[in-house]
Amino acid sequence: MNKLKKLSVSTIIIYSILFLISLTVLIPLLHLLAMSLSDPLKVHELSGLGIIPEGFSLINYKILLSNPLIIKSIFNTLFITIVGTALNLLLTAMTAYVLARTKFPGRKLVMIFLIVIMVFEPGLIPEYLLVKDLGLLDTYASLILYKTINIFYLFIMMRFFEDVPESILEAARMDGAGHFRIFTKIMLPLSKPALATMGLFYGVYHWNEYFRATIYLTDTDKWPLQLVLRQFVVERDNTSMLGAQNFLSYEQIAALDFASLQAGTIIISIVPLLLLYPLILKYYAKGALEGGVKD
Amino acid sequence: MKKGILKQIKSSWVLYLMLFPALLYFSIFHVIPLFGMKLAFQDYRIIGDNVWVGWKHFKVLFSSPAFMDVLKNTIIISVMKIVFFFPIPILLSLLINEVRIGKFRKYVQSIVYLPHFLSWVVIAGIWITFLNPDDGGVNVIRNFFNMPSLDFMTSKDHIRWVLVFQEIWRSAGWDSIIYLAAILKISPSLYEAAKIDGASKIQQMRYITLPSLTSTIMTVFILNLGFFMNAGFDQVFNMMNTSVISVIDILDTYVYRIGLINGQYAYATAASLFKGVIGVILILSTHFISKRFTGKGVW
Repeated sequence: MNKLKKLSVSTIIIYSILFLISLTVLIPLLHLLAMSLSDPLKVHELSGLGIIPEGFSLINYKILLSNPLIIKSIFNTLFITIVGTALNLLLTAMTAYVLARTKFPGRKLVMIFLIVIMVFEPGLIPEYLLVKDLGLLDTYASLILYKTINIFYLFIMMRFFEDVPESILEAARMDGAGHFRIFTKIMLPLSKPALATMGLFYGVYHWNEYFRATIYLTDTDKWPLQLVLRQFVVERDNTSMLGAQNFLSYEQIAALDFASLQAGTIIISIVPLLLLYPLILKYYAKGALEGGVKD
Repeated sequence: MKKGILKQIKSSWVLYLMLFPALLYFSIFHVIPLFGMKLAFQDYRIIGDNVWVGWKHFKVLFSSPAFMDVLKNTIIISVMKIVFFFPIPILLSLLINEVRIGKFRKYVQSIVYLPHFLSWVVIAGIWITFLNPDDGGVNVIRNFFNMPSLDFMTSKDHIRWVLVFQEIWRSAGWDSIIYLAAILKISPSLYEAAKIDGASKIQQMRYITLPSLTSTIMTVFILNLGFFMNAGFDQVFNMMNTSVISVIDILDTYVYRIGLINGQYAYATAASLFKGVIGVILILSTHFISKRFTGKGVW
């Protein structure tokens, strides 16, 4: 009896601690959501820990989603993420296939080259000067061509490819299929989970990228969403936050709450991640373990 | 023999073709800027060739109090993170491992992993809101316990702790995955035997789980040391403001500011080469130490 009681007390403590920990993650996010959905005139009543909107209004989202800078930046981010990830996947998978599943003179040399450049990272300034010299400043290419092949991810991809049974490849070779055919017709279709994992790795990176954009893009028309967000939230620059809001009266503009608008921008930028989150949990974690410490 | 290799090379032409884009990419976007680091020993000229100046920039660097402060901040922040952040994911994995209700376990895991996927801009935004001196959540809690509100973001005494807690908030959950995976590999028969011997939950944790995690903990620790000089650029970059720059300016933010904002390309490259050389020494030594003791390296 005593033992049972003791056990349940420790269990309750453990569950409570974990519950509190998950609240520290959830409450800040729900608080921002509540702020962005509150009536601008009532939002000051919302406690710093409040997670239920005071009043209800979509005005913040109406303003944000009618702001040309934000709309443009969402499309910029989508473009960079989609094109960037597609190129990442194509090059990473093709290189991984050659290095993981074929034999050719010079393979060892290529592997040494990759490990050497993995250890020796160039610095920020020479990278910037190269992009400048190539005339890529203020182009999407400057972002797409940064870490187009991430060597860590390449090595993870190679491990995935090594798991495809040799007999299948052997059978294709017997049928006279060349390497490129084997890669496109057999390796890629058999590696859909691996490609999904890699796609999420690269996709999340592109969606969240802001630093390269900070240094390479001066033209605000090309800015990704994260950079616009940074301008609003970190640099506290409110001037560009209001777009051309013809539908607002002066009173309404005067009543706006900038903190709520900032909260709304944060929410907009994380919605796509939340939509993909079930997939992320399914694939990303497995891939991360694959690349991390393997026992 | 030689003919054999030539023949092999010839028959592998498709493979070389498939490798070509990657090799071209790395040559342009990695190797060229790598050699571009020679700028650390030059003076940058907009027109005409750069001029070699030897160790000039390094001499200025090491006699500059500003650089010494930056170096100090980098080391302090990194050490604080190792001491106060590193054990947290391990403890968290032990706690999560004790949860037997599948649904609750899944709920906790999916929530604590989430911050890892948010951008540093978003994380900074969330924390700036929550640390707001007027009505931020943290100060609401402080006021509840009759403590005065604090402006953490501009407080030199607190900002480094903010960085440590923020790192815990963002990464403790995600980093616990690796330990959880290692725990799952521990043979259940060990626990069965311990239970028969009357070991309590805490004793099982202390004498079975933790010792089984030692090699994973060592590996993660050693690999982390390889990135000691980073101290978290994106985090600091987004949490930076003029009130606290003197205590959280680190090597990478310094290089960014001196180089790209002030335009002192060569001087900033010298600072970044210094950081890079220490980084390479750390990575290589941790790789070989890790290989030696745990059989696992960085690659």
